[in-house]
Amino acid sequence: MGEVIVITSGKGGVGKTTTTANLGTGLALQGKKVVLIDTDIGLRNLDVVMGLENRIVYDLVDVVEGSCRIKQALIKDKRYEGLYLLPAAQTRDKSSVNPEQMIKLCDELREEFDYIIVDCPAGIEQGFKNAIAGANRAIVVTTPEVSAVRDADRIVGLLEANELRNPRLIVNRVRIDMVKRGDMMTIDDIIDILAIDLIGVVPDDEKIVVSTNRGEPAVNDSKSLAGQAYRNITKRIMGENVPIMDLETDDGLMFKIKRLFGLKTT
Amino acid sequence: MDGGSVTFKGTVNGLTIILKEEENFESILEQIEKKIAAAGKFFKGASLVVKYRGKELTKHEEKKIYDLMVNKSGAEIKSLEKDTEEPAKVQNNPPAQRINKLEIKKFYHFKGIEEGVSKFYRGTVRSGQLVSFDGNLVIIGDVNPGAEVVATGNVIVMGSLRGMVHAGADGNKEAIVVAFNLQPMQLRIADVITRSPDEKGGRNPYIPELAFVKDDMVYIERFLPQYK
Repeated sequence: MGEVIVITSGKGGVGKTTTTANLGTGLALQGKKVVLIDTDIGLRNLDVVMGLENRIVYDLVDVVEGSCRIKQALIKDKRYEGLYLLPAAQTRDKSSVNPEQMIKLCDELREEFDYIIVDCPAGIEQGFKNAIAGANRAIVVTTPEVSAVRDADRIVGLLEANELRNPRLIVNRVRIDMVKRGDMMTIDDIIDILAIDLIGVVPDDEKIVVSTNRGEPAVNDSKSLAGQAYRNITKRIMGENVPIMDLETDDGLMFKIKRLFGLKTT
Repeated sequence: MDGGSVTFKGTVNGLTIILKEEENFESILEQIEKKIAAAGKFFKGASLVVKYRGKELTKHEEKKIYDLMVNKSGAEIKSLEKDTEEPAKVQNNPPAQRINKLEIKKFYHFKGIEEGVSKFYRGTVRSGQLVSFDGNLVIIGDVNPGAEVVATGNVIVMGSLRGMVHAGADGNKEAIVVAFNLQPMQLRIADVITRSPDEKGGRNPYIPELAFVKDDMVYIERFLPQYK
């Protein structure tokens, strides 16, 4: 039986879709059978981030309405074995799907896949309700900003109200130099407010912009710091115990050069 | 006494008289007579099947109305009986049928490719928007990524076509897609589906091109001689 994990945040633009794409790809790289579901009907993005936009024939709404079989709508990823995408409809709206249909869909997919990762739309309305309906685990994404943390807090409350206990937290787009200067919230500040378990910290990385524009998840990029963070989170999802990446040691160009040549840093 | 207790209604096969239930029979009779008189020679020579609705009538009353109509209207009254048919239910306007996924029809499909009904759409079709038409479709503007343009005939885009396009959507493989800048995310003609290449760029921008189907393959060619 597979697990259904919903990636949610409340606030828009904090990296739900990027996280979904990277974690899904990461799990597929570990040899798991993974399906990503985009529930952001009308504002779909996951297909673009995955670079699979031009393959869409059927979508989530077609599946729940019964106009096609699930197998027909699943798009096989062009690079990674065992990775599939169920795209959202673009010319419909959130009310085209209801939570009961999502539960039924997730139950069917569970039979076949190890992980079903649901990309949740921003907001707490119908789309959010649909996305969390079939899930049995939740990951909350936030950034070190007061507004994002506030929304994440609201989401944690709503998840608990919907019987999704113990959601995990990803703090995305952390800029360690700013944290050091005291210009950005620290991870501890955020955990202090949200009081949920941390599953990963992803540093702000220009490479993410490049990779999302190209439609290639960064998780497979060994040079990308964010990619490394996502790889670690993937392992934690699978139950391995990986320590949180120590971003503090990364201080400046000289360090990077030294590391490149394998020199010991003091 | 107002004149509203009796209403004459023409139907496909004759005449229906609607009687107000609370009116007494005498005044109904009176009103029917008046109505026939007002109609003048309208009923003369006609052959009618008359039905009534509303008030319940006895056989005797039915006969009275029948006689009255035969005598006064000059029409041949074939019968007079109670209308047992349920009045047609008022259609609750069903939500406009979406035809973005038109069924491929094997035997009948839109045939107005050479000349036929066309729609002109003016403006940019943006992501999430769907323009569909049962006929040929001309977009005077761009079609952006994420937008869908579906027609049972040809699709002509007077601008850049970057979204999803489906021509001959109900099965006509003769349908073509033409655009000033043909870079669709996905291009479908009838049941043939093609998609854009995965690697981006490398194409000369802004060449008017035409897409058509031959042997279940989509071909794209330039159609202006100076570009050849």
